[in-house]
Amino acid sequence: MALPDMALPLYLRPRLEPPLSALLDEAALLHSLVDALGSPLNVLLPERIAENARRFREVYRKHRLAGQVYFAHKANGSDCLVRALAAADPSVAGVDVASLGELRHALASGLGPGRLLATGPKDPEFLWLAARTGTRVHLDSPGELEQLARLVRKYSLPRIDVLLRLSEFTPAAGSGGVRLLSRRSRFGTPLRELEKALDLVERNEDAVELTGVGYHLDTTGVEEKALALESCVRAMDLCRARGLNPRSVDIGGGFGIGYVEDAGEWERWTTELGQAVLGNRPALTWRGHGYGLRNEGGTLRGAPALYPAHRASAGPAYLDELLSHPGPSTGRPLGTLLLEHLHDLDCEPGRALADQCGLSLARVLEVRHDSGDVLVRLAMNAGDVGLEEHGVLVDPVLLPGRSGRAPAEEGGPEGGAGVFLMGNLCLEADLITRRKVFLPRLPRPGDLLAFANTAGYAMDFHAHRAQRQPVARTVAVTRDGDSWKWCTDERYWPISPSGGPAS
Amino acid sequence: MRYDSIVEAIGNTPLVRIDPAVHGLRHIDLYAKLEMLNPFGSVKDRAAWNMARDRLAAAAGRGATVVELSSGNTAKALALLAGLHGLPFKSVTNRMRVPEIKDLLLLLGAEIEELPGRSECLDPTDTEDPLTRFHQALADEGGAYLHTDQYFNPRNTEAHATGTGPEIVKDLDGRAPDWFIACVGTAGSSTGVARALREHDPRVGVVGLVADKSDFIPGIRTLDEVHQVGLFDPATYDTVEPVTSDEAIDGMLTLIRRCGLLSGPTGGAAYHGAVRHLRPLDARLTERRTAVFIVCDRAESYLSYVRQRRPELLGRPPRKNSVETLTGEEAARLAKEATVEEARRLLSEGAPPPLVVDLRGPHAYAALHIEGSLNIPDELFAELVRGGLPFARSRPVLLACPVGERSARYAALLTRMGHPGVRSLAGGIVGWRDSGAPLVRD
Repeated sequence: MALPDMALPLYLRPRLEPPLSALLDEAALLHSLVDALGSPLNVLLPERIAENARRFREVYRKHRLAGQVYFAHKANGSDCLVRALAAADPSVAGVDVASLGELRHALASGLGPGRLLATGPKDPEFLWLAARTGTRVHLDSPGELEQLARLVRKYSLPRIDVLLRLSEFTPAAGSGGVRLLSRRSRFGTPLRELEKALDLVERNEDAVELTGVGYHLDTTGVEEKALALESCVRAMDLCRARGLNPRSVDIGGGFGIGYVEDAGEWERWTTELGQAVLGNRPALTWRGHGYGLRNEGGTLRGAPALYPAHRASAGPAYLDELLSHPGPSTGRPLGTLLLEHLHDLDCEPGRALADQCGLSLARVLEVRHDSGDVLVRLAMNAGDVGLEEHGVLVDPVLLPGRSGRAPAEEGGPEGGAGVFLMGNLCLEADLITRRKVFLPRLPRPGDLLAFANTAGYAMDFHAHRAQRQPVARTVAVTRDGDSWKWCTDERYWPISPSGGPAS
Repeated sequence: MRYDSIVEAIGNTPLVRIDPAVHGLRHIDLYAKLEMLNPFGSVKDRAAWNMARDRLAAAAGRGATVVELSSGNTAKALALLAGLHGLPFKSVTNRMRVPEIKDLLLLLGAEIEELPGRSECLDPTDTEDPLTRFHQALADEGGAYLHTDQYFNPRNTEAHATGTGPEIVKDLDGRAPDWFIACVGTAGSSTGVARALREHDPRVGVVGLVADKSDFIPGIRTLDEVHQVGLFDPATYDTVEPVTSDEAIDGMLTLIRRCGLLSGPTGGAAYHGAVRHLRPLDARLTERRTAVFIVCDRAESYLSYVRQRRPELLGRPPRKNSVETLTGEEAARLAKEATVEEARRLLSEGAPPPLVVDLRGPHAYAALHIEGSLNIPDELFAELVRGGLPFARSRPVLLACPVGERSARYAALLTRMGHPGVRSLAGGIVGWRDSGAPLVRD
């Protein structure tokens, strides 16, 4: 068999779009931000999130569907993204809140309860505030419905709009006899218990009004989602037959991001990972980590536990694909099916709405040669940039420090240098990524590494204060004509294009 | 020929010479081993039978289910073999990617399970892939399953080492070919045949063909996937070369249209890969050589595969009375609309009132519709108007769809076909509902 060309650096270069791509050209600005605010540093581009929501709305328009796009707040805890959405036209997007804290934050950011949806498992205080303000509640279980109804009665709260989260969808008879397996979810009411759940809805009609049903599936598989969506349309029929009047089908999130620009780079890297696990080439990872692949007698076993970093169809394009996909039993495109049934479509993208909305910066502290490997220690730890935690493999961008360009001989073959990125904790496992990362040249202390596209789940979701290492501060950056303006996240209010005082 | 059981007809397939005028090789005789002529339709009949034959009786005794990871020919053969022995068969697969095969398997009585897709919100502590779980589940169930395990079972390879390979040697008058070219799926046929041929003559050149990483050819693994196959040993092959689905279809067309061989895309890939590999070698040859490739199955199950990739091969002329033939100008000029208010007036005061045709799907219609309307889903309506006007010219018609777009196009088409009284409900059923007009369910 042809041997891979080992001389080439195995890049996984990030997909960059404006304004993130333009911001990465501003090395001096980014260096001065880290000089002032420390490493690690989160940088957000709040204006992009409304643009992303508009791209989702374009797909709604194409399929003639009404309904709301809710940003899953859990993807990013910052102020500026939620405030930027609050400033956008209410028809563009709302916010999906999954805790009392997120609900309070969204309300305080200027979003009215009509633009909010409370999801996930909920505590009584969260339910109370949702009901008190008139925030629609996506019910996780029948138990939660009863709890909510009790609160409404006990505290004389207004009747509250609810959605039922359904789970465990199985194909209807006549849909081809194929059993589609899905990972089981801890959340939602199994579809087979829908009638019982509707009994409960009817018994509590004084307290709750059913406005729709929904699902959230943790899969990139369109077929599984198609089955769930079509099952929800059938569930809506059942609700209507019982005299209820629900209006929307909620399809959750999971639209995804393409992190790596080039499909070829992604395919080459994943092929080489398999070869490395089989021992046919030098390791690509720290201590030969296989990312879920293992070598059993020369045969590759297991599946790579990796996010598909290059995706042909992600975000709004994935929604379009799903809505164009035929329903497994009706054969009608799902968008058409929703429209024909006069249903609204709600969805809660998190990662996909945060696409291109930010980056995480880390200062290079030390570059050490250690038995053939190059170890680069960063003023950041694995909790500060959660890419690896989500199985996302993508290269950081090297922003040279003020010492200027490094001599060419510091680079590896073809100018590429393979290094391991170490975190700032006194912990063997604290690697930013277990992958050997190829950079255009060897980093030097004082350089910055910019991890692009971290606004979705990779900024604050896993950050912690272990060892009293600093938690990243967050700044909001906006374009101001030919230059840039920045402020700390909490000082960002979207009242002028630059985020400064309104003129 | 008389047999007691169809399984006796497995094997002994013809070896057919490809006309040199077709492949253009001057010094190499190229032969196709027609595995598509096995009784269940493919090369997999041999492996399926060899893996299952000695275990079927015991499995029948304990009422076991035959199970295999397959979305294609192995599943087909095993389903039939299981049926012959009164056993159920279950096929587990990532995705059934060829709809005809899926339908065929269901016709054969197979149960199909599709494994879940990739996780979107990855749990990094969960390194167990669905396949590993599948194997665990088989072990947990004790004797409830007869798992043939085609990717790891040496009896898969053996079927070809003792059958396919020796047959080729026999048909070439006791000589092994100089080259053997095969697509790599489970690696069973290529490994088994290569072993038999090399025992006869160690100089046989073996070419393995795989699919491009991002491509899909039925029955062939990609360059990455072959490493997940237990029977795959890189040392079997002198070279492993990629083929694209486009090349596979080209090869298939040549075999079908020039050679009278009703080959599927996998056989087409083998033919294309064979000629591509042999052409530069042929140019340097002075004496005669032989090469053999495998035609693994037949074309009929892959029409949708071809339609998806090369629709022009199955192209039909545009139909006369179809909305696709409307020009933008015609659609705008000929479509007469009625607002919800006008429509309601026509329905209550029209003489006669218009026939309301709801073009939505039957489920949506059943859930809610305009009282007294008739449901003809748009794809049925398209068929209906192809033959001419389905309404009397004297009967006014009001067409309704979700938002008034499809119905406007059909209104224009029916007007062009000569109907004087067709209107489209402006804003569709959604507009009707939003204006507060009544919708009923029966």
